[in-house]
Amino acid sequence: MDFSLSQEQEMFRSSVRKFLDGNGSTQIARDFIRGDGSSLEKALAGLAGLGCTAITIPEKYEGAELGSLDLVPVLEELGRAHLPGIYLETLAFSVPLIEKYGTEQQRQKYLPQIATGSRTVTLAWLEPKGGYHPNEVQTSASIEGTSLVINGTKSSVPEGETADTYLLLVRTSDGTDGEGLSLVLVDRDEIKVKTRKQKSFDETRMLAEVTFEKVIVSTDCVLGEINQGWSILQEGLLHINAALCSLMIGGMDRLVEMTAEYAKIRVQFGQPIGRFQAIKHRIADMKTDLETARSLSYYATWALETNAADREAAIFSARAFTTEAYIRIASHSIQIHGGIGFTEELDCQLYLKRARYYENYLGSIQHYREKAAVALNW
Amino acid sequence: MDFSFTKKEEKFRSVLREWLEQNLPEGWLEGKTALPEDNREYSQFLRNWQKKLYEGGWAAIAWPKQYGGRDATLMEEIIYQQEMVRVKAPPLINYVGIHMVGPTLIQIGTEEQKHKYIEKMLTGEEVWCQGYSEPNAGSDLTAIKTTAVKDGERWIINGQKVWTSFGHLADKCFLLARTSNHEKRQKGITVFLVDMHQPGVETRPIIQMDGEHDFNEVYFNDAVAYDADIVGEIDEGWKVMITLLMHERTGIGAQLFTLEQQFGDFVELAKELQENGSPLIKDPLVRQKMVDLYTRNRGAQLNYYRNLTTTLKRGYPGAEGSMDKLLVSELTKEMFSYALTLHGHQGVLWKEDAIMDSSWQKNYLYSFGMTIGGGTSEIQRNTIAERILGLPKDMGR
Repeated sequence: MDFSLSQEQEMFRSSVRKFLDGNGSTQIARDFIRGDGSSLEKALAGLAGLGCTAITIPEKYEGAELGSLDLVPVLEELGRAHLPGIYLETLAFSVPLIEKYGTEQQRQKYLPQIATGSRTVTLAWLEPKGGYHPNEVQTSASIEGTSLVINGTKSSVPEGETADTYLLLVRTSDGTDGEGLSLVLVDRDEIKVKTRKQKSFDETRMLAEVTFEKVIVSTDCVLGEINQGWSILQEGLLHINAALCSLMIGGMDRLVEMTAEYAKIRVQFGQPIGRFQAIKHRIADMKTDLETARSLSYYATWALETNAADREAAIFSARAFTTEAYIRIASHSIQIHGGIGFTEELDCQLYLKRARYYENYLGSIQHYREKAAVALNW
Repeated sequence: MDFSFTKKEEKFRSVLREWLEQNLPEGWLEGKTALPEDNREYSQFLRNWQKKLYEGGWAAIAWPKQYGGRDATLMEEIIYQQEMVRVKAPPLINYVGIHMVGPTLIQIGTEEQKHKYIEKMLTGEEVWCQGYSEPNAGSDLTAIKTTAVKDGERWIINGQKVWTSFGHLADKCFLLARTSNHEKRQKGITVFLVDMHQPGVETRPIIQMDGEHDFNEVYFNDAVAYDADIVGEIDEGWKVMITLLMHERTGIGAQLFTLEQQFGDFVELAKELQENGSPLIKDPLVRQKMVDLYTRNRGAQLNYYRNLTTTLKRGYPGAEGSMDKLLVSELTKEMFSYALTLHGHQGVLWKEDAIMDSSWQKNYLYSFGMTIGGGTSEIQRNTIAERILGLPKDMGR
């Protein structure tokens, strides 16, 4: 029985934290929000240099060939530093799917570049009028010989204007409940799309509406079998949701730490406010939520890595709990900081906005609870 | 990360399993698990059970071999609790003796005390209770007023204890009494091993809100103890009590394993109960709430294993146990509360009129004690904030 990250994993965490702290931690996100992407660029390059982007990629494709659990400490640190970017979509969605379903040609093209940090891949799923239900995917790709002709608009695409590749969910034939959908790898520099920036109140998330008008790509770009995109996507959702938990936990960990530190030094009525049980007990609850989320997330990733029988229930339930706990912790942290917590100057608001962004990302809390109920055979 | 048990641990489990199958009271595994109502019969039944455990070498597995234990590892203790919960084994009547007083005496007791008490503790011949809480000393145990005053050879004990588990069945008491007054109130408390069968000791039952009688008030009127009955140093009983608490290593684990089992029953309940011909578990709102409870229950179990890992690596338990206690007690309360909600209006029917097993009503009412006994949820939150996060203590502590 050993329910903890390994010494190597914890050591890798330390080096990532040291690097991000040395580069200003959340200041990177703040520069980015002001429109200065240089510190982010430097940070991302440095992280790639540390090997963060190569972790789960096979050695054959220039990766380190480690497991999902090895990604956990890195994601926690990225979440803690609140780093902008689509490493989640790239490393925890595209990589496992390309690895499992990609052709040799696709693997050789994408995986080494992702490993070195020179390629990012985003997920283009939502559409302007739709939710995450498969019936709402209207963007179409019609097959003409060896070409796919893509028409339609994707919305809220993370880094839709800057990502190197879109992993695009399209309709390739008629059908309901996931039938007739396909995933296509579309490189942005090989096509012309219209993009429109969408303002998100999480200003570290650069979202865009991307319109495809008669965009032609080769049928070789389809990931896995044509018309099987929905089931492939389900596999990807297991990976990305487990990873998302780790990312959120990094932020939650920082919030609990900040809030406890503040409660020790902020003096009112002649004593640190952390002495008042109204404050103290709320912080204890925040800590308990954090550790519960962490346990659930470690187990979820372990279940993913070992292909455990309960992996779906573990991942979906962890995702639902962690999303909710992140919002709760961020909200409490603002309240406990008092007036200063309400200002732009403190990081609490950054985390809160991110928590709200993730709340419904790739599906709502209710949606994931229902999926967990189904996985439990209820 | 590794959730498996070693071969040695698996072997331990199968040996225990086999023993339980052969030695549990007759019909127990087939569901005949009702305990006698009458106090004397109840006590005799449980003493017999403990004797059986003793004879099989399963009464005090964590004790050293030379005292009749098995030198069990922490993991083996966990497995022991898991198996006892799995078969819903009868409660250990001498829980206090086996898990707390015994190991404390083995560690710091005198040779005379060990000789006098240890074996009878193990066989169930002598049942122990603890004299801690008082009417005005609950969460703040340093406020105890029970006194022990030296009079020649004897110590004369006066005062009142409350919430004494097993008090009505006990032969001996591990008693905290004030022997002197100091500014620091932890000082001046002494631990005595007191005979319950003497004229100066009177026990009165406390009937709980679930109708049961687990606890007692114990009155000491010129009760007597001797120097030889003191554990540790005079006035240093607080340290003895901390030593004792460190020995109770798996109590929260047992509660968590019980909750896990009860959650399984809870899911079955939601499948059986129907509304308009459809099982409640198919109701979208019920499913949402149940997944939430499932998730937090899993989280509490997993936290426990993560904290256990820390304890195994570090060699001793830390304040994280407060989180386990907080979660298991609050979750048990919430789960039974929702189980009653699912019953609908007939949820208030109980005993022979209960529409399902009447333990749902009983356990719901009992669960209110869980967030109070063994340190209230508020005290656990203090511990989490102060000992894990380093927040300042309240004024006056």
